[in-house]
Amino acid sequence: MIQVLFFGPVADRVGQSTLSVDYQPNLSLQALRDTLAARYPQAFELVCMTAVNGQHVREGSMLLADQSEVTFMAKFSGG
Amino acid sequence: MTDFAAVRLQTEDFSQDAEIIALKASSKRMGGIATFLGCARDFSEGREVSTIGFEAYGAMALSEMQQLRLDAIAKFELLDARIVHRIATVTAGDNIVFIAAGAEHRVAALAACHWMIDELKLRVPIWKKESTPQGDAWVVPHP
Repeated sequence: MIQVLFFGPVADRVGQSTLSVDYQPNLSLQALRDTLAARYPQAFELVCMTAVNGQHVREGSMLLADQSEVTFMAKFSGG
Repeated sequence: MTDFAAVRLQTEDFSQDAEIIALKASSKRMGGIATFLGCARDFSEGREVSTIGFEAYGAMALSEMQQLRLDAIAKFELLDARIVHRIATVTAGDNIVFIAAGAEHRVAALAACHWMIDELKLRVPIWKKESTPQGDAWVVPHP
């Protein structure tokens, strides 16, 4: 199982802050993003950063391990 | 009991004096301390703002802030640095974020403080939502 997290404006548009996705071997970050973006297009218009297990990841080709925590994030606005 | 780590996310307000005392306690060689205090405004983008709510990806935000502090210490040869950000709903005038940089001399302290708040806005997963008479809206950052 892969845990997907959403925060702030992305969570508002998705309508929830977490969801679980069945793990599949060779599932890439980009493939997961594409799947979710098709399901939540308005939310993913805002997504410009991605983290896996709390670390920024820019390579969409990264393969996701089972039990990964993936977060799709809008531009930050702290401070 | 307040957790007085050098890097914190917290709901409650903070004391600038207490943070500076803690910073100064780390070294007697500190000749310059620069601080940044971010606070809530009652007006933004032409609208009155009644409250600002903050949401964070807590574990990652804290980790990024800790790394940011270490990066600043290394980059500017600081003696110490502190970063505190509130995750709460605040009103005009309330404190939001505090950054302090302590160095042997003022130039490094001032540059590090400026760099840390700019980097925090780029690297730390925190989002703010403003409540206005026209409704609530997540803030879209400026460059």
